[in-house]
Amino acid sequence: MSSIAASHLICDVGAEPILQLSTRDRNRILLESELYGAHALGIRNVLFVTGDHTLLGTHPHAKMVYDLDSIQALQLASELMHGRDLAGKELDGTPSFYLGSTFNPYADPMELHAWRVEKKRDAGAQFFQTQAVYDVGRFRDFMAQIRGLGVYVLAGIYVLRGPKTARFMDERVPGIYIPEEIIERLEKAGEGLSGKEARARRREEGIAIALETTREVMRVPGVHGIDLMGTGWEPHITRFIESASGQQEG
Amino acid sequence: MIALRLKAPEKILEALEGHEKIVLFGDSGCAQLCDVGGLLQLEDMEDFLTRNGKTVLGAVFVEGGICNGPVFRSTVQEQRAVIDSADALLVQACGVAVQTIVEHIPEKEAFPAADSMFLGVSRGRGTHSELCAMCGDCILHLTGGICPLARCAKGILNGPCGGSMNGKCERDEDTDCAWQLIYDRLRALGKLDNIRKVWEMKDWRSSHGPRVISHHGGAIA
Repeated sequence: MSSIAASHLICDVGAEPILQLSTRDRNRILLESELYGAHALGIRNVLFVTGDHTLLGTHPHAKMVYDLDSIQALQLASELMHGRDLAGKELDGTPSFYLGSTFNPYADPMELHAWRVEKKRDAGAQFFQTQAVYDVGRFRDFMAQIRGLGVYVLAGIYVLRGPKTARFMDERVPGIYIPEEIIERLEKAGEGLSGKEARARRREEGIAIALETTREVMRVPGVHGIDLMGTGWEPHITRFIESASGQQEG
Repeated sequence: MIALRLKAPEKILEALEGHEKIVLFGDSGCAQLCDVGGLLQLEDMEDFLTRNGKTVLGAVFVEGGICNGPVFRSTVQEQRAVIDSADALLVQACGVAVQTIVEHIPEKEAFPAADSMFLGVSRGRGTHSELCAMCGDCILHLTGGICPLARCAKGILNGPCGGSMNGKCERDEDTDCAWQLIYDRLRALGKLDNIRKVWEMKDWRSSHGPRVISHHGGAIA
């Protein structure tokens, strides 16, 4: 579903969405148009991403746009917030957004990726959601490189369903790195159990890993929260939140 | 050079359906260097078409390149008789070659035997890599001589994207991340400042076709 439509529906139920826009599918003209639309619908948080390559997705035949990259899209949004469009035309009213973007602590070269965070900050990003964190050590190293930039960071937490999903994500999903010991831990959790029980036990282990990772990343200087991700297995989000709340109380 | 790839045999036969007397075109430029329209490939094509019931009247081989106007026109002139007897011309060269032939010999139908893939270079026999996107606004002086538009799978100017890992592109592990290459090269040159700043949005006007260049008055005085 269109991120604007989804964000609008989220506003309707009284929650605050973060609109996500990829420059893979939109040129600057459409981005301007979508930002006006988002603002008119009361959507204020906007996150820009470059977008995964189409060859890795469900529509490999599609043509990619990439008129801009995510940093230039942030510049575009900032320009609108100054009351002008990219043609230099004064806008009737000035839209206000809370702009964000992403970074991947596992991407190379690390120094250049840390500079990109700074570039994004300079282009208007105030908050960041990160790629899913599994290796906290590398995440900590990355966070040390962007210390002092004054941005808000939500560490990515993606709850793994089992070793097969983990392996698939590690090998096939762009930018994901899952250490072998995490995959082994999920594997071992179901050992000696029958299919259904093994699956349930492994899912519990996935939630346990996510809870541990959350505790660790929240202790990393510069981290302000987490971005809890889930695709196709939404009940785990409730389970995760219940467990996390239980831990906090305990 | 323009990197070329020969079309699948069935595609070639499909295009030539209804045409029996064929004249082949090749050249010693990109066509020969890419093994699609050199002398050997012209012979192979003649054998293939003959096996499939066609009559190959001859082959026009342009020394240098079909895109070299004077040489092309004089070669065509020399072989005018055989070209006039053909009911189709099969061009084992790039799309520019096919269209040059169509413009010069409009009374005949010309068909492509190859797909024009990209502008690149051969890195060893049988392989070519894309190097230039012909965007019309060269930035290689700022990127250490490595083009992100052609060599980054997303063609972004403030790369790399979050899919760059271990020096490789997220699209496939055989492709180097262009931004890793740029970073390494600029670091070696002591010019990393070139990519520390935000690169502004690109003006794509110079990349929109159809483009015409007038060379008159453009020379450095």
